[in-house]
Amino acid sequence: MTHVAIHGDVTPKAKTLPEAVFAWLLIGPAMLFIAIIVAWPLAETIRLSFMEAGLGGEEYVGLANYQELAESRKFHETIVRTFYWMFLSVALKLILGLIGATLLNAAVPGRGLFRVLVMPPWIIPMAIGMIGWLWLYNGYFGVLSGAMMTLGITGGPFEFLAYKQSAFYSAVVADVWVGTPMVTLFFLAAMQGVSRDLYEAAWVDGAGRWYRFRRITIPQIMPVIVSMSLLSAIFTFNSFEIIWILTEGGPRGATTTLIVDTYKTAISNFKFGEGSARAVIIVILLGVFSLIYLNVLKYVNRKYGTK
Amino acid sequence: MATLDLNAISKSFGAAKVLHDISLAINDKEFVVFVGPSGCGKSTLLRIIAGLEEATSGQIIIGGEDVSTAHPVDRGISMVFQSYALYPHLSVYENIAFPLRVQKLEKADLDARVQQAAGILQLTDKLDLKPGQLSGGQRQRVAIGRSIVRNPKVFLFDEPLSNLDAALRGDMRVELSQLHRSLDATMVYVTHDQVEAMTMADRIVVLNGGRVEQFGTPMELYHHPKTKFVASFIGQPNMNLIPATVQGTDATGIKVELAGGHQMVLPVEAATVNTGDKVEVGIRPEHVQLGADGLDISVNVLERLGGVSITYGTIGGDTRFCASLPGDAAIKEGEPMTLAVAPEDCHVFDASGDVLRRKAAPALVA
Repeated sequence: MTHVAIHGDVTPKAKTLPEAVFAWLLIGPAMLFIAIIVAWPLAETIRLSFMEAGLGGEEYVGLANYQELAESRKFHETIVRTFYWMFLSVALKLILGLIGATLLNAAVPGRGLFRVLVMPPWIIPMAIGMIGWLWLYNGYFGVLSGAMMTLGITGGPFEFLAYKQSAFYSAVVADVWVGTPMVTLFFLAAMQGVSRDLYEAAWVDGAGRWYRFRRITIPQIMPVIVSMSLLSAIFTFNSFEIIWILTEGGPRGATTTLIVDTYKTAISNFKFGEGSARAVIIVILLGVFSLIYLNVLKYVNRKYGTK
Repeated sequence: MATLDLNAISKSFGAAKVLHDISLAINDKEFVVFVGPSGCGKSTLLRIIAGLEEATSGQIIIGGEDVSTAHPVDRGISMVFQSYALYPHLSVYENIAFPLRVQKLEKADLDARVQQAAGILQLTDKLDLKPGQLSGGQRQRVAIGRSIVRNPKVFLFDEPLSNLDAALRGDMRVELSQLHRSLDATMVYVTHDQVEAMTMADRIVVLNGGRVEQFGTPMELYHHPKTKFVASFIGQPNMNLIPATVQGTDATGIKVELAGGHQMVLPVEAATVNTGDKVEVGIRPEHVQLGADGLDISVNVLERLGGVSITYGTIGGDTRFCASLPGDAAIKEGEPMTLAVAPEDCHVFDASGDVLRRKAAPALVA
């Protein structure tokens, strides 16, 4: 009987890198990238928030920037306005998205066409879409104002973006217009993932349309609803272009959210230190908000998940 | 519980006609299996009975009542789906209770019925779990539980075992048969598996191309298949079909020459064939023995399963022939063998695939 060596080295050692080196080589580029475009700007922002920084130079002021913000009534109003803006806009997007997805999921002829028609607000470049809304909201040659005059609702031209209240809600409408398609398509995708058998089984058992929607569709897509609302909330919280193009935060601050306020302070007024302090507060607020949300998501997955 | 009658059910999807005038009378408490190859229309027929599809024409009568246009919930049926269709976000308890919640049943009554169903199906300690935490067989039982709580007149099963592995499928077959006995219910069961059909059914409906080939008890189908299709579909391994030529006919039967040259006199009704006609002789693999005189087979593949040896070979050059022989039969791959077959065990099919009735078939066991 011949003796066979079973511990023979199959791969030549000289050509392989140590595992750790290889691992670092793989993640190295990504880490470098993140360091340059995320970590460094974040660190720089935090550093600047402790400075009195402008075009003239920097001077360390400690917590002065934060203290100023803590005492500023205007800043408090901005925070409240931002959250109001976010909750209102996200709520509308979710409700409209749910209704839209349900309709698009229904077996109606031509639904493929309708699915495509939902997309434009999302596809059109934001600036172009917002210029469209500027025209719609224009008092003298805007369609809305014209229609209201023709119907006798208003006696003369109504400039939607010129008054505090109407400007705020007009901006919300434009934001909802931009944000709804994504929510709709995600909900639609989730709904299409629900097995047809579940509906058939419920139907055979006598469950009506609303009952099936409430007891099958909603729970089945709940994880998507929750994660979509988190995403949508962050997008809306940080939504800048829409407000900036429509109103630049005006009139008299009526549409100034935290992100607009930060931009105005840091970029328009060259107060980099105070602007950075605002940015840091945004990060903290969104961080806390996300933490709460992720816990909600965990709960939802436990309640509506499969395990 | 109730009878189920189908009167001339037809179904077309656009121009494609998938069911042709199907009429069946299913007795009270009967376990009837619809069996057939993919696309034969068996699932469509079941869905029409359930009310998930509408028949193009025809009537469905359950317990004497015409339910052709009734909503599924008003038909007194309940259905177990191939995928089980369990609600993944609901507990086992809520899954079983679902139909009762829809009916807005009172809490105490609902609980009693869920507990009773869970007891029958041995799910009592699983009620708090979600379907995702159960094994395939347990999920299957939950789906059945959801059917039971409704007290339906007719249970409908759509290939309920096809997602289970072979061993579990065997167990569930036995469980379903026991369930049928203990519930004393009318059940209609769809499968493509002839073993499930043979083992569970009181009577089997063999469907092919949207038509009923034959409706009868399992042993009736085995011993008296009406067509070549039924003959080759029922029985495992499949029946051998050997081309043959009619040499002569008389009152006792017909004389045929099989491919390969062997001649036999077969005791069948000869009224519909004439000398010179081409027919096919059907011989079941289990009806042959090694012998000195008979069919000359060249053996290609031999599978020794222990108790039996399944032998695959050819007769008359290229006609395939399978034989089920004793486990220690003295045969070898690549060598010829001679098989004896009793004439009364042979089936004869005419050119259109219809059977010539056997005169000497065994009496049917109940």
